[in-house]
Amino acid sequence: MGERVYGFNGVSPSAGKPGRKRFAMVIDLRRCTGCNACTASCKTAYDVPLGASRIWLMEAETGEFPNTKRNVLPRLCNQCDHPTCVRNCPTKATFKHPDGYVLQRYNRCIGCRTCMVACPYNARHFLPEYRRDARNPRNVADKCDFCIVRVTRGLAPICVTSCTGGAIIFGDMNDPESEVSRTFLDNKTFTLRPEMGNAPQVFYIGLNEKIADPEFAFHHRSKQLHRRYNTFKRNSEVGGEMAGNIIDTDMGLVGLIRQGLNNFRTFFKDAPHKIFRGLF
Amino acid sequence: MEGQIIANAFHHAYWGFPIATYFWLVGASAGSFVISTLGWVFGIKKYKSTAFFASNMAIALLLIVPIILIIDLGKPFRFFHLLMLPSFSHWSAPMMWGSLFILSYPIGMMFYSYFVYKKNEKWARILGILAVVLALCTHWYTGVVIQLNPSRIPNHASVAPILFLTGAYVSGIGLLNICLWIRNYFVGPDSQVSTGLIADMARLMLYGIVFDLFLLWNEFLQMTYGFGEEYTMLYDVLLGVFRWPYFYLEIVWGLLFPLIILVIPKINRQLPWLLLASFMCATGVYGMRIWWVMANFYYQGHY
Ligand code: SF4
Ligand code: SF4
Repeated sequence: MGERVYGFNGVSPSAGKPGRKRFAMVIDLRRCTGCNACTASCKTAYDVPLGASRIWLMEAETGEFPNTKRNVLPRLCNQCDHPTCVRNCPTKATFKHPDGYVLQRYNRCIGCRTCMVACPYNARHFLPEYRRDARNPRNVADKCDFCIVRVTRGLAPICVTSCTGGAIIFGDMNDPESEVSRTFLDNKTFTLRPEMGNAPQVFYIGLNEKIADPEFAFHHRSKQLHRRYNTFKRNSEVGGEMAGNIIDTDMGLVGLIRQGLNNFRTFFKDAPHKIFRGLF
Repeated sequence: MEGQIIANAFHHAYWGFPIATYFWLVGASAGSFVISTLGWVFGIKKYKSTAFFASNMAIALLLIVPIILIIDLGKPFRFFHLLMLPSFSHWSAPMMWGSLFILSYPIGMMFYSYFVYKKNEKWARILGILAVVLALCTHWYTGVVIQLNPSRIPNHASVAPILFLTGAYVSGIGLLNICLWIRNYFVGPDSQVSTGLIADMARLMLYGIVFDLFLLWNEFLQMTYGFGEEYTMLYDVLLGVFRWPYFYLEIVWGLLFPLIILVIPKINRQLPWLLLASFMCATGVYGMRIWWVMANFYYQGHY
């Protein structure tokens, strides 16, 4: 492992330097079957709480019958080279490792969620107050870390291991002989939202421009998905920390006031748990 | 339709009404403090009588702010991580600058208040200048925190901090007018604030309203000629989900109605109308804080 870089120092020193590690990922969407094995294995491995994901799958149907296609897009933290999350974190709780990971230090994070606002990919989530295992961190931000605990022990990230189609390719970009470098050089790859200037390090082969577009995702969500999202927001247990969930079917004046009051109710309800838990 | 998203992870909005309230409180505090310094720093004699009260009101508003902010943190007891200079501080994060401003601004105000109370012209002036710069910075940084996120349309615009400051100025004067009126019932006749002075402050508010409308018009223009996400936002705030906070609460209730009241010659010097306009401004700006914080989370929640 190289030296750790805290804070934002531009591109990490290992970029393009032979002999230094530079981990990146290429996802070949032509081979992805949308089986969700990556999501399931990651959720299990890291005890990712209900309603949050380190890796998740977007699915879209495109085209008119009979020329239809189902597109899948595994999404995870892009371990950006210019990470806006790192730039905006006030306490250096999240940082760019020279080997390419963007990592999270739970003991330093104050849970201000600035990094989540700054991430253009919604790749971060908040760990709730109640975890399955009480020793797990809570009330702090979390994200995919390219399975640093596995990679430093010589194993591939768990999504890569479990991928049934062999679609996820992970490795060291600085090594020209690695599978990931060869795949990257031999294929046309795309990144998500390149206009954000984040220099994502997760590359996609065969990316459909529609599914990669947040505006499309907003306007062309299926009715069922829309309904389920509103149900999710209505019943979400996370309460005060995530108080901005707007239920769009209820945004008249009365609905707005009701949602605002609800927000404050959960905000104050959660306060004693956050403050006094651990004290007595 | 050329396709639809049928499965996705759901994302929460990260900040909500408490943060919007915090923006509103900081803004009102900065606004009323600017008025407080008009007399002692900028030498406009007639505002001298309001300075002490306005400054104390700004301090009181700012005392609520850290409570909201700290409770809103996931780990409230770790707020001191923000103050551990220089080891923990990450200087590229606007939140870091802000925590220093929020810390030093009330201290500056308290000293200023003290010297105003002692009628010490020289030091009131010096500390007033210092505190008014801090007041502007404190509110400027709240705009910047929201502005420096490249994916958050429409927040990612250089007009954001100026819009925040203008809103602060307007809502601060509005709130101050109402509080001064309430104060009149509790103080002796010699320290009461006259309707004429409230009308003069409302005139200052009018300038703020016009400037705010001008900035919003520019923002609107940019969105009209913008790319897809800006259209989406434009639709949302004018006709869609955020029409109540933006269009009705901010534009119509908070800016246009008070504008009309304050430009009609006769009624813009009558107390009930002035108070109504002040109340409208103070509450209308809250609508701006709501949509400015939450609208971008709302439509990007599906991505
Ligand atoms: S995808 Fe988001 S969380 Fe991951 S490094 Fe980039 S900005 Fe940070
Ligand atoms: S939530 Fe934690 S990691 Fe994110 S910006 Fe705040 S302190 Fe940094």
